[in-house]
Amino acid sequence: MNAATSSGTAALLEVRGLSKRFGSLRALDGVDLDVAEGSLTGLIGPNGAGKSTAFSCIAGADKPTAGSVRFRGREIAGLAYHRVAALGIGRTYQIVQTFADMTVLEAVTTAALLRHPHLRDAVAYAQDVLAFAGLADKRYRLGRALTIADKKRLEVARALATDPSLLLLDEVMAGLTPSECHDAVGLLRRIIARGITVLMVEHVMEVLMPIADHIVVIAAGKTIFTGAASEAVRDPRVIEAYLGSPLEHREIAEHKP
Amino acid sequence: MRWHLLALGAIVVLGAAAAFGLRDAVTLDLFFTLLLYAVLGQSWNWISGYAGNISFGHAIFFGCGAYASALCVTHGLSPWLAIPAGALVAALLALVTGFPTLALRGHYFSIATIAVAALVDAFVRTQPWLGRANGFELPIQSGWAALQFPDKGPYVLLALALFAIVQLATIALERSRLGYYLRALRANHAAAASVGIDERRWKLIAFAWSATMAAAAGVLYAQYTLFVDPPSTIALAISIDIALIGVVGGIGTLWGPAAGALVYVVLAKGVALRIGGTGKGYDLVIYGAIICLIAAWKPHGIVGTVVDALRRRRGAADIPPGATGTA
Repeated sequence: MNAATSSGTAALLEVRGLSKRFGSLRALDGVDLDVAEGSLTGLIGPNGAGKSTAFSCIAGADKPTAGSVRFRGREIAGLAYHRVAALGIGRTYQIVQTFADMTVLEAVTTAALLRHPHLRDAVAYAQDVLAFAGLADKRYRLGRALTIADKKRLEVARALATDPSLLLLDEVMAGLTPSECHDAVGLLRRIIARGITVLMVEHVMEVLMPIADHIVVIAAGKTIFTGAASEAVRDPRVIEAYLGSPLEHREIAEHKP
Repeated sequence: MRWHLLALGAIVVLGAAAAFGLRDAVTLDLFFTLLLYAVLGQSWNWISGYAGNISFGHAIFFGCGAYASALCVTHGLSPWLAIPAGALVAALLALVTGFPTLALRGHYFSIATIAVAALVDAFVRTQPWLGRANGFELPIQSGWAALQFPDKGPYVLLALALFAIVQLATIALERSRLGYYLRALRANHAAAASVGIDERRWKLIAFAWSATMAAAAGVLYAQYTLFVDPPSTIALAISIDIALIGVVGGIGTLWGPAAGALVYVVLAKGVALRIGGTGKGYDLVIYGAIICLIAAWKPHGIVGTVVDALRRRRGAADIPPGATGTA
């Protein structure tokens, strides 16, 4: 396994030996991953592999026990959560975390205030982001009154409003109907077209395979594979750890591009 | 926002008319108390309502103003000087209390406010220069320079002005970065941090402003009663009154503290004036019962309940920000 960049483009995010213990539990035990600037990198792994913990450690919500997280060459491991956000890493939550008593516009405005300290400017920018994310007609709804798909969309819009250069998306497709998934992929493509680098955790493999430039597979807190999506489904370590039995493997492989 | 400004303008005009027109000392006293408590409730509302950190020691900031006033006057200084001096001490006290506790989860902040209030109370009672437990009687003077008046009318005007300033500041808060950040932090601190909000920094700013407002009210109170001692300014009972006003009216709403103060004054003072003299404490029973009812049925308080009803009637989808008390 070689996590170092081989594509030639500069790595926006470099994670080396990332480890996180909760008491005696090793949630992460040496995760390596690179995210090249402008790419969409998929982070996959079986349940409990440590994907969300890795996200939390990269975003600053959790402090890693060991390892390094470099963003634009700068060490950010252990930095306060809000400072990581200010540096340009936006994230969504697997379990949606709304500002319950705020309207959609207010929630996104709150995020926009990071780069636009005057409320008038922040509201204007939030309106743009909501139009971009397809939530403009729901801007006066309360966050808690949205459907799951719209809540996930709101999470993405809120993260986008902070003007991130790296966006961490944690299972934004989970729980969506196929047509909602299709819309979400459309949004994802627009985000990439905007020049935002994306690292996303996703369980819906058929969604991730055609759009991911790179796949990182982690299992039991370790990186076990880095490479193209088409190679991931053929790699014996990935098949063993993630795809399981040969039958399941065939089902997944049929969805590859 | 236009409706809020119109409502505030109407209150100022009516209040000023009452201050000039009324001669009944009891009614003017009720007005003054109402406005003072509305200011204190709004002060509490900044940190406990909008930011969601419940303070049980708010009377010490009120006390900072009252004692600053007493010290200034007894040392031959202008009581006007007590406003910045008391506000500065109150804000520093808020920063010292808030720095280690405001970003902690759970009830550490509330406990810390009680502890600091108890410390301040004990400290004041041992210090000769602070009048110990006896407090201060302010020498009687007269005129705007001395901030003392033989009639109650000017006091009502001053309280009205302070109330208007505090309400305007709160309208501005609701439309500012600070206001949005406080509401986001109250709703979900982790999500707030994920969009770059530094919890400690913004809550400290809110707490310092909150303390400043309470201190200004303290100066006015001292100049009104001309008597300052621990039980009337910094005692835990005063802190709890302030917190109850905020809760009854509706936390995190623009008009909640004023509504809470109205209930408090009408019940606690109005009822006490009529039946409190019986010595049986019926007034307290009634006030306590109303607080219990609100806590049980309408935890969002009076204004919060009205706002919820408005949202339901018009449909949450169509209420633009600024149309309700919480937006």
